[in-house]
Amino acid sequence: MYDSKVVRRRRAALAICVALSVVMLTAYFGEGSGGVFHTLQRGAQEAFAPLETGAGRAFKPFRDAAGWFGDTLDAKGDNDDLRAENERLRKQLGESAVAADDVRQLRGLVKLEDTDSFPSATNPVAARVIVHSPTVWYESVKIDKGSDDGVEEDQPVIAAGGLAGKVTSVTGGTAEVKLITDGSSAVSAQVLPSGASGVVRPEVGQPNDLLLDFVDRGRRVTEGTTVVTSGFSSERVQSRFPRGIPIGRVSRVDLDEVQLYQRVHLKPFADLRRIDIVQVLTSKGRASENASADVTP
Amino acid sequence: MSLTPQAFARTGGIALLVVILQISGLGGAHPFGIHPDLVPLGVAAVAIYAGSVAGAATGFATGFLLDLVVGGTMGVSSLVLTAVGYAIGRYREVRDPAHGLMPIPVGAAATLGYLIAFAAVSFMLDVGSSVSPLVVRDALVTTLLNALLALPVFLLARRVLRPVLLVDPVGLRSRRRGPRETGPLGLRGLEA
Repeated sequence: MYDSKVVRRRRAALAICVALSVVMLTAYFGEGSGGVFHTLQRGAQEAFAPLETGAGRAFKPFRDAAGWFGDTLDAKGDNDDLRAENERLRKQLGESAVAADDVRQLRGLVKLEDTDSFPSATNPVAARVIVHSPTVWYESVKIDKGSDDGVEEDQPVIAAGGLAGKVTSVTGGTAEVKLITDGSSAVSAQVLPSGASGVVRPEVGQPNDLLLDFVDRGRRVTEGTTVVTSGFSSERVQSRFPRGIPIGRVSRVDLDEVQLYQRVHLKPFADLRRIDIVQVLTSKGRASENASADVTP
Repeated sequence: MSLTPQAFARTGGIALLVVILQISGLGGAHPFGIHPDLVPLGVAAVAIYAGSVAGAATGFATGFLLDLVVGGTMGVSSLVLTAVGYAIGRYREVRDPAHGLMPIPVGAAATLGYLIAFAAVSFMLDVGSSVSPLVVRDALVTTLLNALLALPVFLLARRVLRPVLLVDPVGLRSRRRGPRETGPLGLRGLEA
């Protein structure tokens, strides 16, 4: 009934495929960013970019139609929330205008340079998302702007007014962006206006709920306050993100008697499951050079 | 499946199509917050019609392509999809399913197996952050959504693969044989 040759061939095929996968996995972890597999990935991403861009645009109406059903259900609840938020923001706007005037006067007094605050020290480059990661375990997207447009590794990326992630690899015309919902992401952040600082980390599988960890129990954090990047820097390490990029709003605070730190949950401003357009905060000089190179014949 | 250039081209075409559709077309679509996953469905469809060897090879190739273009850890998707393709192919060889609704349970099983195995490998590689229980809910809903999508995906894959298949499991069942006109006298005129 069973042909031993067929059985052997079948098992050999399985063994070869599994062995190749394990070898690739081991080699990928062992090599640096200039290794064979990383280079192969960059080459493939460059080669597939036109196809992905075309497919992405062709299927956009279908994606939007699919998203419309969910959006319609959510819209009713969001409407009430937005009305309440609008009222609150109107009050804040008045207070902020007064505070901004104070800041301007104080800066003039102490001659502070306005170089390290967002967005003045950066030049946002708009990009379209052409590839979405197919799994929750690796949250990344690919965009249609690369080193030719001034995009470099480790530059922050924003979407819909909030931090989305950072650039992890770049080719001439594309770049890969690791989102802040990726399992390996960590962003130093602080709560405004209390100033309590911590590290924003994701919870895999829940992109609408980020965790602000390592927040001192003594610092009071209230629901509804805004969390921004802290731009932490010391003699040894420096955050990749400039200070002041909005990340999200505090949705819940877990106060555990046993823990040294409190766990703050926040809802990101950017809808990271459905992003089509992002902005890369490139360094100002570099992006300007590229922009001028583009227009010169 | 016959090992001809045409067979490789057709299988490769299916792998390329599901990967491009998944990352560019369906990747950003989230009806009701969940996105369907065409990749395990494509591999399962090839495996169910072409057997375990073709299933494992297609799984490996699809995973390799997926990791290349998405930029994920090389080898993870290949390993998981090889196992999915082989398992579905062996199921076909051992049980020989031929029911018209066979794609639904097969597609659901392939998707669930893929998601569980991928999660297990990711855990082993150290995720680095906490994991929400919602991952389980998402996996179950994706499985249900994929079960609905399995019928058209399997139908399309069967159409593409049919010219290079040695045996078509569904075709065998649905094709009625004509009455016998030769053989023993007692059987003539009967459907046998």
